[in-house]
Amino acid sequence: MPDNFQSFQFTFPEVAPTISEVLDFLHSTDLEEEHPAVVFIRETLGELSFDTGITGGYIVKEIVELNVKSGILSIDGNELNPGRQVCGYIRESTQAAFFLCTAGEDFTRLSNELNEKGDIMEAYLLDTIGSLTVENAIGLIHENLRLTYHAQDLKISNRYSPGYCNWPLSDQQALFELIGENSTGITLSDSSLMTPRKSVSGVIGIGKNLKHHEYGCKICSNTTCIYRKLLSAESV
Amino acid sequence: MNQNFLEKLSECVEFGKINLASPYPPQMKGFPGADEITKEALEAGVTPTEILNEALITAMNKVGQKFSENKIFVPQMLLSAKAMGASMIHLKPFFANGTVQRKGTFILGTVYGDLHDIGKNLFGMMVEGAGWEVIDLGIDVKIEKFLEAIEQNPTAVVGISALLTTTMVNMKPVIDAIKSVSPDTKVIVGGAPLSVEFAQSIGADGYGKNPQEGIMWLDKIVA
Repeated sequence: MPDNFQSFQFTFPEVAPTISEVLDFLHSTDLEEEHPAVVFIRETLGELSFDTGITGGYIVKEIVELNVKSGILSIDGNELNPGRQVCGYIRESTQAAFFLCTAGEDFTRLSNELNEKGDIMEAYLLDTIGSLTVENAIGLIHENLRLTYHAQDLKISNRYSPGYCNWPLSDQQALFELIGENSTGITLSDSSLMTPRKSVSGVIGIGKNLKHHEYGCKICSNTTCIYRKLLSAESV
Repeated sequence: MNQNFLEKLSECVEFGKINLASPYPPQMKGFPGADEITKEALEAGVTPTEILNEALITAMNKVGQKFSENKIFVPQMLLSAKAMGASMIHLKPFFANGTVQRKGTFILGTVYGDLHDIGKNLFGMMVEGAGWEVIDLGIDVKIEKFLEAIEQNPTAVVGISALLTTTMVNMKPVIDAIKSVSPDTKVIVGGAPLSVEFAQSIGADGYGKNPQEGIMWLDKIVA
């Protein structure tokens, strides 16, 4: 079991979304080839070359207690409060991987610059590419974790993040404390928001008898959540 | 003649034809866009108020309606908003000198703890296109910042946005604080996880399921 932060770094081409992924995410697969949004996405994906700043990783810890009723996860002298929903999804876990991943500052900086110039559509599209980039990066890290633990005959869960599936965003503070020093450079504001903005954090359960649970999108009222959009794009 | 300018301008905004150089939409390639038509219209004597009411608001209403019916999505809406912005640049001096009266002032922000801004930005652009002055406070907006903006704009209406179930609960303390210092200030809330029932439960005066609904509510309170 890794007791320190396992780091990963990616180049943009390794984790860049495809044009189809971006258009699926935007529900805009019907846009004409010459639509400015399609032109911008195509050109941007071809031109971006962020060779630094896309980074992430995880640290694995033994679970001392996972109380579904109270929604509390006790680890290593720390308590997290992911809530009943997330605790229910990972209830058979004996260990948990706590992850961080960021697409870096460049997406937000460039998106802000475009916004200031009045290029609001382009700013939004770049921001979307950044969101999908960080999801692809954490997707590769998630797969690395799956393969690592598969070799030990252990299963892993979906990934869950503060702010989603009723996990209070304020729990980011405890999550970051639990993860401790790491190489990502992600910081938290007093409102528990991450910098760089294009960052994700959360937990993945690990256990021999872990059952796979789908995300609870069908019972959630948030119709524009990134996880629902990604799932609906995957099912196309 | 005036009607011709207004119809052309409305079409440019509806379909996102920004200026002469814009190659999109293909059927309008090589023709003037919202930028040039607004300039020409003003030079020809069309009033800024006519441009706002009979071209821009009309076009953005159509765009909002199509968006609410899922006939278009965010990229098309933003392109229309960009075309509207190209026209608005020519109208700004008339807003500044009072030739064109705004319907009111609208203070807008994403609630503290939440950094999502696309819904807020879209709504802000639609509201501006509907004839309001918009003061955008940004994302992760603390209570104090809303109160400060209200103090500076006492007659303004306030809009608060949230995109997460875990941050929409932060709206109530904001509304409570606003109502305690300025009971007459109207507050509208919006965001994907919200519902009309939730909006009522936290003391909001209005709820916009989509930009179009929000604008209709705003127009009703100044009618």
